[in-house]
Amino acid sequence: MCLAVARALLGPGVYNRLLAANLFGTKTVLLLAVVAVLSDRPEFLDLALAYALINFIGVLAVLEFVQSRALRRRLEDGHRLEDSKPESGPAPTTDRPE
Amino acid sequence: MILTVLGFLLLTLLVIVTGAIVRTANLFAAVVLLSLFSLLMAANFFLLDAADVALTEAAVGAGISTVLMLAALALTAETEKTASRLKWVAAGTVTALTLVLLYATLSIPRMGDPSAPVHQHVAPWYLQNTPHLIDIPNVVSAILASFRGYDTLGEVFVVFTAGIGVLFMLGMRRFPAGKRRIPPPQTLGLKHHLVPRTVGTFILPFIILFGLYVQFHGEHGPGGGFQAGAIMAAAFILYALLEGERRALDIVPPRVLMLLLASGAFLYGAVGVMCMLLGGNFLDYNVLAADPVAGQHLGIMLVELGVGVSVTGVLLSIYHAFAKREPA
Repeated sequence: MCLAVARALLGPGVYNRLLAANLFGTKTVLLLAVVAVLSDRPEFLDLALAYALINFIGVLAVLEFVQSRALRRRLEDGHRLEDSKPESGPAPTTDRPE
Repeated sequence: MILTVLGFLLLTLLVIVTGAIVRTANLFAAVVLLSLFSLLMAANFFLLDAADVALTEAAVGAGISTVLMLAALALTAETEKTASRLKWVAAGTVTALTLVLLYATLSIPRMGDPSAPVHQHVAPWYLQNTPHLIDIPNVVSAILASFRGYDTLGEVFVVFTAGIGVLFMLGMRRFPAGKRRIPPPQTLGLKHHLVPRTVGTFILPFIILFGLYVQFHGEHGPGGGFQAGAIMAAAFILYALLEGERRALDIVPPRVLMLLLASGAFLYGAVGVMCMLLGGNFLDYNVLAADPVAGQHLGIMLVELGVGVSVTGVLLSIYHAFAKREPA
């Protein structure tokens, strides 16, 4: 866990941090499960379960964020393109819904 | 022994991570570190036997707050504006406060000391009387929903007010129809990515099931309305992330969200008024059924349901309020 935290603190880059945070989440789930079993309170396993389920949502949110950021940048570039050449085609977004 | 060492280690890591959060100028990295902070915090709560709090921290800190922070980040710039000079007044205040707090910790009783005031005041009474007055294994739920029902009612109204406040500031506007050819990027969702969609669709029912379990099993294990509300909201947010804002709002339209938001708080208050109409005090569940203990069970269940519904409504409305805005 220390190593994961070190990686999250040092980087380099955001994606190393993200991976480290994700790894740390998994480690926490395991830690909680082990402690719950060691201290003979199996009902505390609920917590580990909650973590396992909820962690995933955070990762997806990050994915969404990165995707929307990339799209937004492309959108801004597209607008700039249209401003300079008014008769250019549709904005260069390939994954337009429906 | 090993748990003490572990707790020490976790607290040290907590301090280091907090320092890093304050120092980093990259807000995206700060959000990632904040989720790490939340994990550490929950592990600490867990080691201190505070299972209910740990569950709340798990549901809110690791899931919802990360999502909300990222949703906010998508609307603003990604790096912090650096302060040009060290603010001496602020630095001095913080240092003085730290010294005062450090001084105060000297007189705090040792952790787990049975003669500490907190273990002498009302806690023994709750532990003794919960079995025959309320008869549920989780004393925390008994205190939260019944003995200190007023406080919890207050908390629900605080949550309710916070939700209304955010909605006033950010609004729940409709999508601008026909104005833009390209929808705002955030409404797209991850529907074009196969792996997240498959896995997400697979675990979504389990999250909802787990939320319901936490809601209705709160009297027996860790959990209750607040945690269940956060987990349910997380499930719907997951759906919104996967399928896009529009589909999510088709399933749970803003009108329904408002209704959830208000009806939870209303249910809680209504249970209290019902108790008064039946001849008891406000939130005195004994009169709800012929048998006082059964009345307590019914009252706690209804009140927890109110809390859960309200929290779900508020968290979801806040998320949608953020996600529907277009970046400035």
